[in-house]
Amino acid sequence: MTMTARIVRAWPRLLATVISMAVLAVGISGLANVSQAVADTVHSPIVGSGSTWSANALQTWIRNVWANYQWKITYSESGSTIGRTDFANGTADFGVSEIPYAIANSNEQDSRPNRKYAYMPIVAGGTAFMYNLVIGGKKVSNLRLSGETVAKIFTGVISRWDDPAIKADNPSLALPSIPIVPVVRSDGSGATAQVSIWLRQMYPKYWDAYCGKVGRAPVNGHCGVTSNYPTVAGSGFVSRSGSNGVAGYVAQSHSVGAITFVEYSYALNAGFPVAKLLNAAGYYTEPTAQNVAVALLKAKINENENSADYLTQNLASVYTDSDKRSYPLSSYSYIILPTALEDGFTNDKGVTLADFGAYFLCEGQQSAEVLGYSPLPINLVKAGQKQIQKIPGGNPAIKGIAGCNNPTFSSDGSNKLAKTAPYPPECDKQGATQCATGTGGAKESTAQSGSGTDAASQSGTAVGADGTAGAATGAGVGGITSGQQVSGTPQSIPQARLTTTAYASMAAAGALLLGFSVAPPLLRTRGRHTWFRRDGWRKRR
Amino acid sequence: MSTPAIPRYAVTDVVGRTQLPTPVLGSGDADVPRPNQRIQREDVLRVVGAAAAGLAGAAWLTTQVIPVESPIGFTAVAYLLFVACFALLISFDDDRVTVVDRLVAVVIHSAAIVLLLALGLVVAFALLRGADAFTHLNFWVEDLALAGPLDPLNVGGMAHAAVGTLIMISIALLIAVPLGLLTAICLAEFPSPFTRLVRTVVEAMTALPSIICGLFILATWVLMFGHEKSGFAASMAVTIMILPIIIRSADVVLRLVPATLKEAALATGASQWRTIWHVVLPTSRSGLMTAVVLGTARGIGETSPVLLTAGYTTFFNFDPFSGPMVSLPLATFTLVKSPEAAQISRGFGAAAVLMVLVFVLFLLARLAGGKGPGLLSARGLLRARRRSGREAARFDRRAIARARGAAVQHTQGTP
Amino acid sequence: MTLRTADNGGPQPDLPRRVRVRRGPSDISFRVLTHAGGVAVLALMTLVGLFLGIRGTEAIVVAGPSFLTEQAWEPNSRRFGVAAVLFGTITIALIAIAVALPLALGTATYICEYAPVRLRRLLVGVVDLMAAIPSVVYGLWGMFWLEGQMIPVAQFISTYFGWIPILRVSQFDPNDPLASPTVFTASAFIAGLVVAMMVAPIAASIMREVFAQAPIGEREGALALGSSKWGMIRSVVYPFGLGGIVGGTMLGLGRALGETVAVYLVISPIFAINWQVLATGTNSISALIALRYGEATPFELSGLMAAGLVLFAITMVINFGAGFVMQRSRSGAAS
Repeated sequence: MTMTARIVRAWPRLLATVISMAVLAVGISGLANVSQAVADTVHSPIVGSGSTWSANALQTWIRNVWANYQWKITYSESGSTIGRTDFANGTADFGVSEIPYAIANSNEQDSRPNRKYAYMPIVAGGTAFMYNLVIGGKKVSNLRLSGETVAKIFTGVISRWDDPAIKADNPSLALPSIPIVPVVRSDGSGATAQVSIWLRQMYPKYWDAYCGKVGRAPVNGHCGVTSNYPTVAGSGFVSRSGSNGVAGYVAQSHSVGAITFVEYSYALNAGFPVAKLLNAAGYYTEPTAQNVAVALLKAKINENENSADYLTQNLASVYTDSDKRSYPLSSYSYIILPTALEDGFTNDKGVTLADFGAYFLCEGQQSAEVLGYSPLPINLVKAGQKQIQKIPGGNPAIKGIAGCNNPTFSSDGSNKLAKTAPYPPECDKQGATQCATGTGGAKESTAQSGSGTDAASQSGTAVGADGTAGAATGAGVGGITSGQQVSGTPQSIPQARLTTTAYASMAAAGALLLGFSVAPPLLRTRGRHTWFRRDGWRKRR
Repeated sequence: MSTPAIPRYAVTDVVGRTQLPTPVLGSGDADVPRPNQRIQREDVLRVVGAAAAGLAGAAWLTTQVIPVESPIGFTAVAYLLFVACFALLISFDDDRVTVVDRLVAVVIHSAAIVLLLALGLVVAFALLRGADAFTHLNFWVEDLALAGPLDPLNVGGMAHAAVGTLIMISIALLIAVPLGLLTAICLAEFPSPFTRLVRTVVEAMTALPSIICGLFILATWVLMFGHEKSGFAASMAVTIMILPIIIRSADVVLRLVPATLKEAALATGASQWRTIWHVVLPTSRSGLMTAVVLGTARGIGETSPVLLTAGYTTFFNFDPFSGPMVSLPLATFTLVKSPEAAQISRGFGAAAVLMVLVFVLFLLARLAGGKGPGLLSARGLLRARRRSGREAARFDRRAIARARGAAVQHTQGTP
Repeated sequence: MTLRTADNGGPQPDLPRRVRVRRGPSDISFRVLTHAGGVAVLALMTLVGLFLGIRGTEAIVVAGPSFLTEQAWEPNSRRFGVAAVLFGTITIALIAIAVALPLALGTATYICEYAPVRLRRLLVGVVDLMAAIPSVVYGLWGMFWLEGQMIPVAQFISTYFGWIPILRVSQFDPNDPLASPTVFTASAFIAGLVVAMMVAPIAASIMREVFAQAPIGEREGALALGSSKWGMIRSVVYPFGLGGIVGGTMLGLGRALGETVAVYLVISPIFAINWQVLATGTNSISALIALRYGEATPFELSGLMAAGLVLFAITMVINFGAGFVMQRSRSGAAS
């Protein structure tokens, strides 16, 4: 009786907890509605989804418009393919993608959405090859690669860093004999699509062979363009999702030997170098804003306003541009804008989206260079300003071109950024010399570790291999012009000898283990004083 | 988690009134095994000796014979040597049975230590790495709207994710708890072919992988019905996930309620509904609380249903019905994929907050329903005894009064 | 039969009187209410199951029997199957359970039999609490701490046990001092270890609960007959708790199969069967869904549901198996 009474009295507490939770939830959401209604009625929050390639630029712009104008834009960096799908499904108000819908020669079925849309370029940039390579305990920051070498690396033809093809590109590096770990995107990605378009056009031999290896059927005679990079089991390829994922993997300390393709800004942020890529003029270039701007002068933009692919890019002649400064893997990234009130898009959302577009076409472009992107040229900004006026409900304040302060704009309409781009130094020319200056986010220069001649660099590797000196002795054989000469410092190989701290930590670990295994039985007896009992001391029979 | 209901103190009815509870013989306290193990001096010496031999041997082996660099390798070698030496030492004095006994004891101790250490490490690691972020006050009150990947940790916080988590789980509980408890009562109290079918289906559904709950809501609510990704969609996914868990554990708990209690209630003339409300539910209160809290912990901690249905945002969103709403596990999942140290720290910070939330929930569960039905804490017991005493005194007073009244009636002869 | 004792002139057979229950309106409405709850839950669960089944079958019909044998996952070119992802899921789960089972069994035994009484209550709480830690926390630990620590271990195993086919890593040459350890990252082994840490407390918690119910009388009987402590555990506690051991292990296996984020954060997804569990690259069904749900066309979504259906079916069989074993066992009969 008493027990039941007690419990009956206690029972309502559970009920009360549940009810209070309910009230809390309802209250919070109610409050939120009120505050939102008061705050703003015009700029509705919008949701976007897509490319991680251009996400660093977009996130910066979104933060700026929130800080300055309180326009609430949510952008989920999920990959270009998801961006296009989310827009088509109506789960996103805008999508961001490097490639348009239904791209030619594609492996994937990617049909145009039923909703009305328009493309608009948002920013330019270079797909960089970020890597993590250490020679003799020092980070390499001046790696150079030809397009063919890159193609071989990402199709599994080359699997070691000391391959002759890489050596030929890097005469001053004593490349170690460690496996190359190509890191590719596991999600559907525009960067993958750009790289596969480039591979298909420039190096169909390797790309087709790779298609055969992974069992993909060719499209129109060659291995198709794909957003999902295929990998072969046991080939040492690593797949990660998102630009963040691949860049994060390469940046890990145990990922020595990894290389990935990712937008230049990710390498800058992570503090890692990118490979200089050989262009058609025979120079190795870095995807800086200027080099990208130069390269994209050759991009063919679809200028037929009635085409479904109006403003989309054709980069075929960018890859073969013979300007010394051009970076071959340059491209534009696109936003997919809704042009009709459907799938939950409202006039209020249109206001936000159009104003946001006007912002990043003009002011936003100023920050592109700092972030690791390249600003849009004047013709694309003008075309983009026309595109944002198609957004329903939008009433964007189009600033005059003069007020934009875009670094590419000049009075005569030419691309100022490209015009003023510096020419590469002679040490970046294909040949026996190699610049020592750092690239990407790793600005420190790399000491020369190999020599111009093949034999010497062979000996350098051999020395490293037998475990006495990790760094190859800097050979003076070649008499190299730039880059400081460093005589190799002997590196202790961790296997050979243990330091005092290692001993101490081992001893500590062992002691800890033992302590934990001995302590409980000891503790257990302490309370009962069995230690001192007569029979405790007696020998068992 | 829940102990079966053994009434430790029986309320014995002797002369038609409540007596103070007395321990029942053969159950309760008497049923504790007597301690039978005693550490002997030899054991201690053997352990110490074997440990010394193991350490020394491992130090020699790892430096001179096989090159093992990692502390893990050293510990493993030392441990194996320790076990071997220990076995050898025991075998000098004792028979095989004792050797096996002691060896197994060592192995079991070490398995427990390894697991507990590893789990401690998991928690400590998340807390330590997250400390960079959550030691800043702004981490607890701001959202991430103004914090880009490169901004330092004194800008932005995880409050929006914490709010999102709370809103989502509240809605999920609002649906799952009443529905789950009703169903559990239906299963436990009204057995029929129908309830057996429901029970089978519910048990099958506990096997539903959490990501499929998300996939279901994504395919129906978001893609088929065209709603946007929102906190409410995530709540529904979480509801589908925790509903079978709650029903199943609540059903088990309800079935543990002793039939005698129910029969006693029915025998006093209570209706079935009153019996359940006043006897069955209160008796199983702690178990039900545990069921709900376990479901809540699962629901709070799961990332996958939220990943597919809630969207990701850096803003505060208090409205579960419109716009993306982020939760703590999803924020963790998203942030740690970044190569930026600050973002990773924020992710760890979010994970730490999440763990603290789960710990607090657990503590609440312990406080709200710490003991099984019929088991009382020392204070509770004291209270029950006091109340019993008061009742007894009241009965006494009434009996005396009645006797007096009877006496008075007898003497005065009032009508 | 024997009921006809009335012949002896004794009392009438002790048959219960038929009770006619007349329920009041409150009772009836309560009954209706709870049954409504039951119907709602049944409807909801059936809806989920049916929806998955119907959408999943669409893809399975297109793929045909190759759905179980094809390794690639390219539903848009109609070349897709679960062979690789299913293989990965099962490898990870098996590695996890192989590591978790001894740890969980040891811990449960320790708590019930060896731990000091004062420590016991604390440990029970700790293990139950660990079972509730969100899986993303384990994923973080695996990604940022365990992977780096386990690379030398994997290297060691592959160097000295490489002669066992599944422990070989063909990219790794033990005789090469400069061999890169990156071939050991993001492997099924590491993912399995992370999941093992996650499921071990769950399994330990169930085992502990069952061990604690082993009858005191039998324990003391064994000891009184001269058994050592281990002898007592082996002959009384483990046979009694066998249902708990099997049940806990299988429930852990079920959780391990369905785990998403902890696996997703660690692995490098590939769409091919990788027998070398120490080498980079594996996959799991739930990680596949998490990876591809967003970019899926309606047909690919059907494919993902079909994969999910396969996972669901396996987990369901395991869970029912666990329930069956636990109910048949001595310890499970009570609950």
